Amino acid sequence: MAEEKSAEIIRCEHINKKFKSKTVLEDISFTVNRGEFLSLLGPSGCGKTTILRMLIGIEKPSSGRIIKDGADITDTAPKDRNIGIVFQNYSLFPNMDVYHNISYALSSRKLSREDIDRKVKEIVETVGLEEHIYKKPKQLSGGQQQRVAIARTLVLNPDIILFDEPMSALDADIKVVLRAQLKEIQKKLRITIIYVTHDQEEAFALSDRIMVLNDLRIAQLDTPYELYHHPADPFVKRFIVDHLNMKVKSIEDCIKEVHP
Amino acid sequence: MKKTMLQAGRILRHEYLRLISVGCILLFAVLPLLTLAFHVTGSDLQYILKDRNFAEAIRNSLLYTTASAVITTVLALVSAYLLNTANLKRKNAFVVLLTLGMLVPTISVGLGLRILFGTNGFLDLLFGWEIEVRGFPGLIMGSVMTSFPATFLILYDALHYEDKGPYDAASIMGISRISTFFRLTVPYLRIALISAFFACFTLIFSDYGMPMEIAGKVKTLPMYLYDQFMSSFQYGRGSIAGFVLLIPAVVSFVFDVVFRDQSVSEKQKRLIDAQRGFSRIAAALIVVLCVLLFLPQLAFISLSFTKSFPNDLSFSLEHIANIFSNTHGVGLTAYIRNSLLLAVLTAVIGTCFAYLLGYLSVRKTGRLGKAIDLLALSTIAIPGLVLGIGYIFLFKSTNGRFYGTVLILIVVNVFHFLGSPYLLAKNCLNKINSEYEVIGETLGISRGKIVAHVLIPSSVSTLVEMFSYFFLNSMITISAVAFLCTYDNQPLSILITTYEKNSNYEMQSVISLIILFLNVLARSVFFAVTSVLDRKQSKEVEGGIGLSRYEFDFLAYLEKNGKGIYSQRKLADDLTITLSNAARLLHELADRDFINLFADGSMEISEKGLHALEPYKVRKAIILAAGFGQRLAPVTLDTPKPLVKVNGVRILDTLLDALYAKEIKNITIVRGYRKEQFDQLLEKYPTIQFIDNPEFNLANNISSAVCAIDRIDRCYICEADLYITNPDIINKYEYCSNYLGAKVAETDDWCFKKHQGYASDYQMGGTDCYQAFGISYWDGEDSEKLKADLRKVYASRGGKENLWEQVPLKIARKNYKLEIRKCHKSDIIEIDNFIELIAADPSYASYPGYEEYSGK
Repeated sequence: MAEEKSAEIIRCEHINKKFKSKTVLEDISFTVNRGEFLSLLGPSGCGKTTILRMLIGIEKPSSGRIIKDGADITDTAPKDRNIGIVFQNYSLFPNMDVYHNISYALSSRKLSREDIDRKVKEIVETVGLEEHIYKKPKQLSGGQQQRVAIARTLVLNPDIILFDEPMSALDADIKVVLRAQLKEIQKKLRITIIYVTHDQEEAFALSDRIMVLNDLRIAQLDTPYELYHHPADPFVKRFIVDHLNMKVKSIEDCIKEVHP
Repeated sequence: MKKTMLQAGRILRHEYLRLISVGCILLFAVLPLLTLAFHVTGSDLQYILKDRNFAEAIRNSLLYTTASAVITTVLALVSAYLLNTANLKRKNAFVVLLTLGMLVPTISVGLGLRILFGTNGFLDLLFGWEIEVRGFPGLIMGSVMTSFPATFLILYDALHYEDKGPYDAASIMGISRISTFFRLTVPYLRIALISAFFACFTLIFSDYGMPMEIAGKVKTLPMYLYDQFMSSFQYGRGSIAGFVLLIPAVVSFVFDVVFRDQSVSEKQKRLIDAQRGFSRIAAALIVVLCVLLFLPQLAFISLSFTKSFPNDLSFSLEHIANIFSNTHGVGLTAYIRNSLLLAVLTAVIGTCFAYLLGYLSVRKTGRLGKAIDLLALSTIAIPGLVLGIGYIFLFKSTNGRFYGTVLILIVVNVFHFLGSPYLLAKNCLNKINSEYEVIGETLGISRGKIVAHVLIPSSVSTLVEMFSYFFLNSMITISAVAFLCTYDNQPLSILITTYEKNSNYEMQSVISLIILFLNVLARSVFFAVTSVLDRKQSKEVEGGIGLSRYEFDFLAYLEKNGKGIYSQRKLADDLTITLSNAARLLHELADRDFINLFADGSMEISEKGLHALEPYKVRKAIILAAGFGQRLAPVTLDTPKPLVKVNGVRILDTLLDALYAKEIKNITIVRGYRKEQFDQLLEKYPTIQFIDNPEFNLANNISSAVCAIDRIDRCYICEADLYITNPDIINKYEYCSNYLGAKVAETDDWCFKKHQGYASDYQMGGTDCYQAFGISYWDGEDSEKLKADLRKVYASRGGKENLWEQVPLKIARKNYKLEIRKCHKSDIIEIDNFIELIAADPSYASYPGYEEYSGK
């Protein structure tokens, strides 16, 4: 009897994190479902990236547990978690071309050259980089580099991909295109994504649910709709609702606000 | 459970490596100094405090060192300033010439001065100038010459990489130049100047090679120390002298550690637009300085080719020929082998060790990393002499196994020269993205593999530089090695001191010459390796697809608008990028020498920048002009539409003028209807070539495109009946394939929509779309695809009925990513029928026969 996979893919239980004596996260608990797009949103320094680093395993929680697929992975090495990560500056290996950036992780596993080749070509096609396969990172645009970074993690079939503010280095007009591409890739592969950002718009455009962090804790974890219509506290209202409302205000209104 | 243990093991292994490294530095660099203290007794201290010779040695050393350090620093500052400011080509060549002194032992410089001056010196023999320089004059002269290269490099770098930002800010605020000099340049350079002075002082203070030759009766501190050890065997007293020798080095080191972070600025070039006259004077002064600095070398080179100095000055190869023979004098082959072996092994081991230290201190945080950093840097402060003595004390008991072997020479050299290469490695590794290891961990790639496959390939040129530093210094050093080498493993540089004792000028000169020769050779090799690497890298960056979109836009913009003052705000606005991106681009492109910046705030594209744009240059234009132009009848009954005059100008001339203005002169016109009339164009545009399309009235314009198919390559393909009012819609450079379009709310003309940034949905008439104008550009890759697709479609059944642009825009659209190049609707006036013609040129209202054709 094949075991039915549960909806839940990863769960954090009462996570606390201290750096020396400074507490950066307090009692963080949440669950992420399979195929979900979850954003971690909050002002800078609120601990978003620390959560990400604990999920990937390069930072250990001071207390609490991380459960993935029912197993405790709190102390598991990063490479055994089957979680991929895409950094803000993509961290592509500068001396390798697109192909080798993607195949590098495979070549250190026991796979035949044909298998590696097939897998890489497949992924390259998925992210639409066929014509750039022999270019070096320097020769690619920011958006293309990002797709290589995604492909590099995808090739290992991760259960979850983490994104650490991947759009903040890009210009506004490109961001919109890339968001659409990212969403498309996610839907195509039905992959779980946990996405760190400080950009409210971005979180709203992409996410199934958004976790708003403030003052070491989770302020609210909800769908964009609920966040907007039922903010849990004054901070969420100010940070989310007021911010988004301001964006749709007319320029005249903004000027009036400054020069009443 | 097992996994966590494994992981813990891995971390532990990493920590072991760090512990071992700390242990190594302590054992081979710090402990030797401490053992010095154990050999000092109370009576030694009492004796030395009363010893007149000691007091005099200190006084002498301080005197000539201070004097020469001041002179050197001033001289280095002036020459660094001149070289930085002057508008000179091949500045690097001047730097090489000015630092040539680094390639010979200091003792050789002393030797050169000795055979240049004094009774029976070259100057005396040739010109009768008998100048006695032994003693203080010689010491100062020699010190300036030996310490100049290093001091110059420090100041040259400091000036070269000075941050330009504050100067921009000051000029915007309207602060005068004199004020900025005193408020910005001087405070900025102050730290570099003090640091350079200290470095220079230390170098001179602890050198004993050069004084050996030229000090005459003046005793210096290093010579005192040497005597205590090698002649009087008073180890305690020598050790005290050693500690005194250490003082300036320690002061210099502490200063550097405290102020280093302030003096290191981001690599940003400050290029000053110098006057021509000034540049010439600067060049002349630098050349004079180069010659003066080279005089000692010239002296010993000349002596090597002199028959019998000072009696017979005729040319002779005798000394050179004797190098390799054992019968006359000493065969030097063994010593050359010793030297090269020592230098190569020191360089290999030293480079690996310094790189490892850099890795351990930078790529992982923690207290041990900081300890490694401080320890590695502190080795800069240890004078070779003192280190050598410490080694004697510490390792004498290992005689035969370590002491007395080549190994100890290698080790002492590695730790003596460790500081600078370590700094190089550290800076290089600091610049490399810190997340590679994390990425590696998540992908299951070990740290070792990341080092081997990513970090090392990214720091090859730094590794070459480190190797070069170790090699060249090992070739010329005499300080530490002098105490530790044996008769069998003696390198060339030590051999000079042997011949100094019996005043054998010929042998000293020949050996100095060999060292100079080998070092010049080695340096050329290193230089060649570095430039091959650089070229390979810049080829990757600049070759064909090298520029990013932004970089391209930026450079093309500068090329188009010429030299001028562009604020970052203006750049951001004109290029429609964010302000921070404009600043970053400016910084990066200046860094890669793609643009020249001038002191008055203006900038222009550089030669190198133009070179980088070259692959994107539009090579040619193909104009499809075979059609009949039915809708303009009756005007077109005897004139092809492109040649119809609007307001006195032929329609096609507007396009041809625009192309000529952007230096696109390779123009092919495919003609058919009334083709002979096109010949008149040659008068004004002599470079035009014609292709005749015999099928023009049987097939659609795809036939014209097929006629010119072999010429499609990085070119514009244009329709011939566009009346262009804005010639700037033609560019000299294009980044990728594109089609010209103007955003319109509604049109009944051919149009396309934007889908994921590219043109699609090509159709007749539409709303909220781009009206297509018949000017498109095809890059190298797409040209090949287009040729194949055009041929295929043309040969297919009914294929001749197509418009050519339907092939890339509709029939084979998935093969192309055609960007929409936006223009304004008024940039081109479409004249598709007689009414539009009259609108553009009212004189046609009275054209005979117009009513008949318009159906009125």
